[in-house]
Order: sequence, then structure tokens, then C-alpha cells
Amino acid sequence: MKAVGARLPRYDGIEHVTGRTQYVDDVRVPGTLWTKALRSPAHSATFDGLDTSKAEAMPGVHAVITWKDVPLLEYGHLSALGIPADEPLLAKDEVRYKGQPIALVAAEDEETAMAAVEAIGIELEEREPLLDIRRAFDDDAPKIHQWGNWYPHFEGEMDCRQIRKGSIDDAFAQADTIVQGVYRPAAIEHVPLETQVSLVVPEANGRLTIYSCTQALYFSMGVVAAHLGLPLNKLKVVGGTVGGGFGGKVDTATETMCALLAQKSGRPVKWRWTREEEFLCSSTRAPWHMEVADAVTKDGWILGRKMLTLHDSGAYARFSPYGLTKHSFHHTGAYTIPNLHFDGYVVFTNRVPTTAMRGFGVTSVSFATETHMSRIADVLGLDPYEVRLKNANRIGDTSPNRIVYTDPSTVPVVKALAGGMDVELAPEYAAMGPGQREGDLLPEHLVAQLADPEDH
Amino acid sequence: MAVKQGRGIAAIEYPTGMNQNGDPSQAWIKMKPDGRVDVFAGTSDIGNGSKTIQSQIVAETIGVPYDWITYDNSNTDSSPVCTGTFASRATFVAGKAVEKAAERVRERILDIAGKELEIDPSDLEVVDGEVLAKGAPQKKLSVSDVAAAATWTYGELITGTGAQLKPYSSILDPETGEVDSPPHSAISYAACAAEVDVDDETGVVQVTRLVQVYDVGRAINPTLVEGQIEGGAIQGLGLGVLESCYPYYPSVEHRGSEFGSYLAPGMEDLPQLDTIIIENPSADGPYGAKGIGEMANNAQPPAIAAAVYDAVGVWVTELPITPERVLRALEAKAEPTRDGKLVVFDEELSVNAVPGGGMRFEVPA
Repeated sequence: MKAVGARLPRYDGIEHVTGRTQYVDDVRVPGTLWTKALRSPAHSATFDGLDTSKAEAMPGVHAVITWKDVPLLEYGHLSALGIPADEPLLAKDEVRYKGQPIALVAAEDEETAMAAVEAIGIELEEREPLLDIRRAFDDDAPKIHQWGNWYPHFEGEMDCRQIRKGSIDDAFAQADTIVQGVYRPAAIEHVPLETQVSLVVPEANGRLTIYSCTQALYFSMGVVAAHLGLPLNKLKVVGGTVGGGFGGKVDTATETMCALLAQKSGRPVKWRWTREEEFLCSSTRAPWHMEVADAVTKDGWILGRKMLTLHDSGAYARFSPYGLTKHSFHHTGAYTIPNLHFDGYVVFTNRVPTTAMRGFGVTSVSFATETHMSRIADVLGLDPYEVRLKNANRIGDTSPNRIVYTDPSTVPVVKALAGGMDVELAPEYAAMGPGQREGDLLPEHLVAQLADPEDH
Repeated sequence: MAVKQGRGIAAIEYPTGMNQNGDPSQAWIKMKPDGRVDVFAGTSDIGNGSKTIQSQIVAETIGVPYDWITYDNSNTDSSPVCTGTFASRATFVAGKAVEKAAERVRERILDIAGKELEIDPSDLEVVDGEVLAKGAPQKKLSVSDVAAAATWTYGELITGTGAQLKPYSSILDPETGEVDSPPHSAISYAACAAEVDVDDETGVVQVTRLVQVYDVGRAINPTLVEGQIEGGAIQGLGLGVLESCYPYYPSVEHRGSEFGSYLAPGMEDLPQLDTIIIENPSADGPYGAKGIGEMANNAQPPAIAAAVYDAVGVWVTELPITPERVLRALEAKAEPTRDGKLVVFDEELSVNAVPGGGMRFEVPA
């Protein structure tokens, strides 16, 4: 029988539904120590007087680590792409979000570890936090990051991700109507059933075996290797079966710190976050602020789009520059808009760093531009299906970054949706396919952006 | 005061593979002496079903039954590089790597079968676990016998390796964003209609139905594709009307710290789900597949926002569309301001409304 296209049973389905899948927290190794973290109680503060001596002297405590124990303190999530790092593994001198880890304890049990955390001395001086990305650019806004309040390292050392195509000024001048709006999707939690967890076993042969819930075994191995200064043959990452990730487990949240504690104590070390830590200290989907102004004609053509995006990165960059770039590449959605002016900023705030989540970078822009599309149809008094079909990208059109579309499906999916909703389209729309533009579908404003679909 | 119905739609696209590429996946396969197949790949299965999908691709490509496949992604000692399970890449990019490895295995099977059958390998094919002579299917040898011959007669191990890497797509001009090559492996498309009930007394938005169309290129396993679409729809519903870490963003107050204080969708929130799958094959994906994983929660929030407007005449463009936001919008009854040909919604949310004025969004009237 054919395997591709068949409704075959899930490879690991029976294990999952009978509760027999082995996740990281199911792995038990004799002699394992348990981990708890001293976390920042403040959104923004400087600190000194970090004193772990009492904690280290407590019975049952086998290792305490601070920033001093990390061979390479800063290694960025995008370092592999040559992007500079900004986030210390453990806080040094200052904290930039509530819940940021400062010190870690490995002890015989979680209660002892927690008691030792409480015995760690620290003196914090709180600062005014920056929380509103719209205020980050004001002269009197708190300065919260070594790079400034927004990310300055896009190509050419630009401080914003730009897209420019055609002439937005001409589009605004030629428009019958300009529709402007603001869109603000929220930060949300990943809410995996399995909280962040890892177990690191120091083997007799000098290797570290890392049981991990990572979504990316080799990515996390690279992060651990970089912080610890080890070649890859000293590490074995065990995983591949994840209890829910949704993007949050692309962050290497616990593995490196467990590895350091395992090295220091010589014992297996496990760190599993409580549900409260998962909610309050794990990274989230980013909140976004998007402003859109579309130049439109009275019969529903979109001539141009001006857009400003502020991406709330939280306290550190993590994957945000990547997410914003992806966002910018897709800010025309499923349509062809020939005149574009896009500026996007990754803005730092004193909240938990945001990270990848399902639809990263694009979920936000889909919400903004598609809600805007519905508003345009309403303002112009046009049918929302037909406005979409009219502006749909087609074979031979070009994307915001000038890539030719070879097999776009906007027209087929919108027509199929109309069918599914028993909506009757006007004959010229019902007859549409996704093929190259001609006739009424090739108005003058769409000529210059065309490219040869064979030339890609 | 009444419960009012509304409908709204959205159409979206989403890239397959890491933005700007440069994200390798690798795989290798070995065959046991009875023909059973061991696949080693480093792709984490986060519930997306990549173990299943990649096993199906291997079974199809070699020509053996699905239940002959053992899939091992358990550790970095035995499995080669996979950049990871994100960017909707586990089927297309990682699946392409296992497809290539499986093609090598099939070639090795045909080589050895050719020796056993004394037929040129190019005249042989593998179907359902048997090597058959094309046009003369009575001349055949089971894959199990081929694997046994490799092991015990020829002293060989049947293996195959494969890797998929689309080179990094560079930004040629940071002023314009122009790139030197397609920054994705493929693009998937979807459209969604939402039907809602909005209670204009309580502000509660109940999503009653989501009709969704997805072009996935090729559904390697339609059941798993439907699972992604339905699961994504509920996550999109959460984005649209329920979930927020910071209910009064940008304030950090009232942050939920447990399941009881954070509103993720539950069974009582489930709408009717109608799914239509379209297969417009990608040029380069395994069997024409494109990514489906992430885009599945992108189309619902704008469709819901439009449906709420259709129902009660207010646009709520800060998510989630909570009862409080609906009631405040109904009370404000805000109309867009009009200045010449400029129609401006949401003025109070704009950076232009922030007193400091460090960032502006200027549009000519």
C-alpha cells in the first residue's frame, strides 16, 4: 500500500495515550540532585553583595553557581548566525526582568535547595522599569540595555528593519482613500504540559549526558558547548520526544545551568520548573504594536502600504531580530502591493524575554494586515472576498523583497472558502485562477513589479 | 440587549523553513538483515507528528511497509544534525533529508537484487517489500531476502545518508530589504471564516464555527494535517478572545501564574470546525509537501475580529477580544476620524498619542 497520503497511525500514538512515553522528568538516575534558582524579585535593579557562602555551607547542598562559574557568560540565541550576544546566562551586576536567574543551588532534595536559595545574600537597588515600547524612544525613557532601548545590529548596523519598494509617496498621492489603523496582539504563554526540565549526568568517561526537552537537539547542544567551552564529543543530548513546545523550547532554558552544576558537584543534576516558574519566568510570545496605512482606490486596489512595527522583545534579544525580519518579509500577506515603506524595531523592555512561538513574526502581521483588509472592504463598501481576490498575489508577481511568486494559492483558498461558506462570488471572481496577470487584473500600478516566474 | 451573530474572514500565507534558510537537516538509514529499516534523524517530535511523517516518507521511498520502519531521534550520538523543530520545517526540510537517504537505500537494494536476479538494476523496482522486474513481476525477490544476501552472501551493509540545506538567503540591500534568493523553502496558503455570537450586554464573544481552507502542498498524512489545523485553530481562538500574559499591557500587573488564572481554551470554547484541504504541490518538498505546523493559528484572530465588527459594529484591535474590551468599545462607539481622503482608526493607540513623541507614524492627508 502507499505510505504517503495514507491515514496511518501515529508512530508514537499508543505510548502517548497510554501514558507510557518516557519524558525527561520520567528519567530517574540514582544520586540525582535537585535544583532551585535565586530569581530577581524586581523588574529592573542593580545588585551587589552576592554572597553564597551560607548556602554552600548548608548540609545537603552540593553546588552553588553564579555568573562567576560560567566560562562564557554571554552566548546569544542567534550567535550561530554571527549576531552579537547580549544575555548573560546568570545575571551579573544587574537584573532586567522579574524572574531572571541570579544563582542556582543543587541539593539532595528540592526543599533543601529552596532553603539554600533563601540563604543567599544579595543587595538590590531597584530602578524605574521601561514597560511601554511606545515610550522607548523618548528622551526621558529609562535606559535599560547596553545596546540602547532598541536593537541596533541589523545589516549595515541599521537600528531598524526596513523594506522599501516602489514609491509610497506616489501611492498616497494617487489613492482615493488612505485607511490607517493600529493593531496590538498580546503576549501569550506557550502553556506546554511539560514544564522546562533537564537532567545532566556526568559520566565516568568525562562526558555529560544531557536529557533535554529541547525542540532542537543540536541547537541546544551548541549552546551548552559554547557556554562551557567544550567540543561536541564531550556532550550527548538525549531527547527528541517533547511534552509540548510551541516554540518556547527552542530556548535552551535549563540545560547549560544543569551541566555547570553537574560539573561542579560531580553528581547528576535535574532542574524541573514549577508550573508557576513556567508561567512567570519562561519566555512568552511577544506583544507587538503595528501601525498600518494603506493607499487604496475606490474600487478596492491597494496601491501602497506604509507600516511601523514595534516588537516587544522583553529584556534581551533572543530570537527577536529573526522574528522581526520574517515579519517584515511577510507584511503584504497573501497579496501583491507594489509600493511599500516598512520600518520595524526590536524594542527592549523590562519584561520576560519574548521568543519564538507558533507562527513566529507572522501571526502578528497576519492579524494586523488581515483585520486591516476587512476594514478597507468595509470603508469602501466592497465585498471582503472580492477585495482579497482582486489583490491576491499571482504567478509572476513579486514579494516585498523582490522574489517572484511561482505557485501562490491565495486565489484557490479564498474561492474554496467562499464555497465552504455558501457565498456566491460575482462571475469575474468565480472564474479567477492564480495565473499570471492580464487584462483587468493587470492595472498600470502593478506592471513595474512584475517578474518572469522562470527567473527564480 | 441581545446576542448578535457575525461573520468575518481572513486569508494568509506562511513560509516553510527558516526565514533566509541556512538550516540543515541530515539523516541516515541502515537496514537490518531481514530488511527492516532503522532511520536516524535529529528531529524532535514536539507533538507535530514528525516521527510518523518521516517514517511514511521512508517507507514510500524505499518501497516497504510502514510498520517495517523504526525511527530513532533519541540522541545526538546516533542521529545527525537537524536544526530543529520550528519554522514549519520538520516535514519539508527534515523530511527531504530522510527522503534522500531512503533513495540511496533503495538504490543499494536494487544493486544487490540485480546481482541475485541477474537483471540490470535499472530494470527493477521495489513495491510493498518486494523487488520486481519491471514488466515481468513474476521475477521477484523479497527485500528481506535482499537484505539477507547483503549481510550473509556479499558482506555488505545497506545504508543511505541524506542531507537538505538551502543556502542562506542574504539581504543585498538593508535599505530596501532586497534578497539574493528566495528566503523560504515554500509558501503555504490558508483562508478562514469565523462565525461568532457576541452578547452586547456581557461582552462575551463565543466563536461558534471556523471554516478553514489550507493549501498544504501534499498531505503526507491527512489525519495529522487535520490535527495540526484543528489544534492550531483552537490556539488561534485563544489568541483571539482569551489569552494574555499581561491583561492590562503594557502594565505587568495581574499576570496569571497558574492554570486557574490564565485563560487557555478549554473544551467549552470549542467551535464547530470545518476543514478543507487543497493540494497544490511544492516544487521541491518531499512528495510536494509544504509546511502546515505554524500557520494553523494565524488566520483565526483577524477573522474573529472582523466577525465581532459584523456582529456589533465595533473594531477591537487589541487582542484578546475580551468581554471588557467589547463593552468598552460599545460604550465608546468610536468612529474613525476623517481628514481629506485619510480615514484614521485607533488614534488613541498610536505612537502619535504618546506625549514624549520619540517615535512618530506620519501619513499624508
